[in-house]
Amino acid sequence: MTGTAFIVDDDEAIRDALTWLFKSRQVASRAWPSAEAFLADWQDTLRGCMVLDVRMGDMSGLELFDILSERGSQLPVIFLSGHGDIPLAVAAVKKGAFDFVEKPFNDNELVDRVILALAFGASRQERHEGQATLTSRLSQITPREREVMECILEGKYNKVIADELNIAMRTVEVHRARIFEKMGVKSAVELAQLLSGRK
Amino acid sequence: MNAAISRLHNVQAWYLTAPRIAVGLFVLAVVSLLWLLHRQELEEQRVGLISDMLWVEQILHFQLSRSQEQLQLLGQDYFNGDLADGRFEPRLKSLLLNNPGITQLLLLDKGGRVLRGGPGPIGETIVGEKLRPEPSQQAFRLSRSTGNQVFSASYASGSEWLFDLIVPHFRDGQHLGSIVAVHSVKTLLSEQVPWWFAQKYRISVTDSNGVILGSKSNVEAGEETLSHRIPFDPPGYGLLLVATAYKAETSLARNLLALAIVGLGAGVLASLWAQRRHMQKRLDAEQALSNEYAFRKAMEDSLFTGLRARDLQGRIIYVNPAFCRMTGYSAAELVGLMPPMPYWAPEEHEKTLAVHQKVLAGQAPSEGVEVRLQRKGGERFDALIYEAPLIDAEGQHTGWMGSVLDITERKRAEELAQQQQEKLQFTARLVTMGEMASTLAHELNQPLSAIASYTTGCLNRLDADNFQRDEMRETLRKLASQAKRAGHVIRRIYDFVRRSEPQRAPCDMNEIIEDAIGLIEADARKRGVDIVSDLFSGLPSIQADRVMLEQILLNLMRNGMDAMQTTEIERRRLIVSTAPAEGGLLVRVTDHGSGITQEAAEHLFEPFFSTKPEGMGMGLNICRSIIEFHKGRMWVETNPEGGTIFNFTLPQEVR
Repeated sequence: MTGTAFIVDDDEAIRDALTWLFKSRQVASRAWPSAEAFLADWQDTLRGCMVLDVRMGDMSGLELFDILSERGSQLPVIFLSGHGDIPLAVAAVKKGAFDFVEKPFNDNELVDRVILALAFGASRQERHEGQATLTSRLSQITPREREVMECILEGKYNKVIADELNIAMRTVEVHRARIFEKMGVKSAVELAQLLSGRK
Repeated sequence: MNAAISRLHNVQAWYLTAPRIAVGLFVLAVVSLLWLLHRQELEEQRVGLISDMLWVEQILHFQLSRSQEQLQLLGQDYFNGDLADGRFEPRLKSLLLNNPGITQLLLLDKGGRVLRGGPGPIGETIVGEKLRPEPSQQAFRLSRSTGNQVFSASYASGSEWLFDLIVPHFRDGQHLGSIVAVHSVKTLLSEQVPWWFAQKYRISVTDSNGVILGSKSNVEAGEETLSHRIPFDPPGYGLLLVATAYKAETSLARNLLALAIVGLGAGVLASLWAQRRHMQKRLDAEQALSNEYAFRKAMEDSLFTGLRARDLQGRIIYVNPAFCRMTGYSAAELVGLMPPMPYWAPEEHEKTLAVHQKVLAGQAPSEGVEVRLQRKGGERFDALIYEAPLIDAEGQHTGWMGSVLDITERKRAEELAQQQQEKLQFTARLVTMGEMASTLAHELNQPLSAIASYTTGCLNRLDADNFQRDEMRETLRKLASQAKRAGHVIRRIYDFVRRSEPQRAPCDMNEIIEDAIGLIEADARKRGVDIVSDLFSGLPSIQADRVMLEQILLNLMRNGMDAMQTTEIERRRLIVSTAPAEGGLLVRVTDHGSGITQEAAEHLFEPFFSTKPEGMGMGLNICRSIIEFHKGRMWVETNPEGGTIFNFTLPQEVR
């Protein structure tokens, strides 16, 4: 299982018990006693999911969730909600939280959800990273190369492209080679696959 | 109203003006009459004066004519030589005596020299320049040339004015001489004018220049009096005979009468004026009075406070419109009534009568009395009545004045406010309970969640057969501590409940019941419920929390009243009774309400069970808990007369 469950709860017993529970299912976990402590340690590189108590001392779980969203965190969040907090938890889910679990919870069910969240988080991260790579590669293409690339994506031959853009055949060939190199592909088909769903 | 008043005003003004005009005209008429009379009198006087005047002139004329004749005779006798020396003097004397106007007689020869004469010194000549005055000389010459008798113009001699009568004597055309009769104007007048004439008039002779030549009297006549003048001829020469009437002695009576008439006229006018002023004042006063009355009436009619006056016997003698509106009876229906009044609510009859009698006895409370009254249609309303003695203008105490305020709305508002307050408190209580429950749930959830997680973790390991004993032991210890933590939470709740434990002390159940009834009585009256207490005297003393028992009673009584909401008003009786019971006492709260269904009776004491929409369902549950805490018992029975009976027992105080 990739990723770690990040537990944030102000009750030490809960933190300890959850760690014990997760460990029994081979889920790695790490715990913080407060939202502020977690924020101090947070980095973009953290991979996993969050198990967050709604009701905590100074900063509530929901506030922490909002701050993390602002920072662009991709971590899925599972809220632990107590009696009377359910409406808050539901609102959080609508804002993009992964799920919420009502206390007292069915523990193995919680673990199942954490595992789901970890998997979801990993794929989202991957997708996110792919997107980031593509974006950085695209940013290296010059405007002229972009015009040429669009023509290539439309399936036009070099000769046609040269006519359309009023440049020499030879120049089109150089551009094509440059584009393939910058985008890390070997053929026009590969390029089309990489950019499908984009534009 | 105003138009009518102004018309009245006009009519009155006319009444006031007409007599004044009449009196004015009357006085004017009288004055004119007097003036006319005066004029007539003057006219008469003038006519009298003229005729008197003519008469005097006639006399004077006659006298002078006679003098002429006699002088003629004397002249004939003298110049014929018939008069011897001795006979002349007597003849002269007799002539002078007969003609008093002649002061001197002179006989002149044809040359004008004085031959003889008398009385008094006789001058040398009449024609000469020195001796006789010029008028006399002129007359002499005129008479000699004409041969006629001639009067001279008047002339002054000393203080007197004189004129001469010259009688010439001729024989055969020859002038022999003349006789001169010197006349004194004054003497002529004084001798010839009779006394009665002098009494009435001042008679005088003036020349053409207005110089008085002589007069009968020296008394000056007043100005602007009646006078008449006629020529005095002979002697002529522009002489005038002037008679001036002495100021006629006007009639005193007539003057007094005129004065009286004028005075009376003035008096009438003055009295009319005074009357007018008086009338004006009265009119003003009337106007002010009617304004005041209208103002008071408007005030009284627009008043919201009902006013009712009663005489000393309690009979209604006056009610205002507000009172009529309040009660629905008309003033005609109410005035003259003696108690009981139709607007007294029958169920409060005795209380109202007591208040009434208290008022008549002069003991009306100054802060007012609250009484429930009824309108004509039977609708009840609450009134606040202030009574005060009615003192008339002479300071006589004639009755009682009451102001009646309809405070139904106010009371309703107060009750509404109170209900709102209660509802609010109820809600607040609910909110507090909810919060407490939430906190409690959270506090318990934490250790329970931890316990569950530890347990599941253990089970997972056991299932996987992958565990270390130390690890398991450690976890189980943590698990136990979490269980202990949950136990602490529970204990805290228990402690909290314990803090409000009843405070027991010896007390008398009957007293508690009476206090509770006292608390709920006002509410009961409002709902038309009659609370009857049937208390057994000599109940055993009990050891109990007085406030809690009072709460139970209030709760049961309130439930009973709620149950009787739809019961007809005569049957709304709530009976609270006490009786001794085995080892203690029994309290029964009996209502005549809708009763309880068998199904409801089964759940009646369960928590959160309620037949009321706003009920929390804690009342009876708590009641039974309290009774059981006091080691008593509580149960419910069906009232055979309809309704429900709640019973509870309490054990006797154990010493």
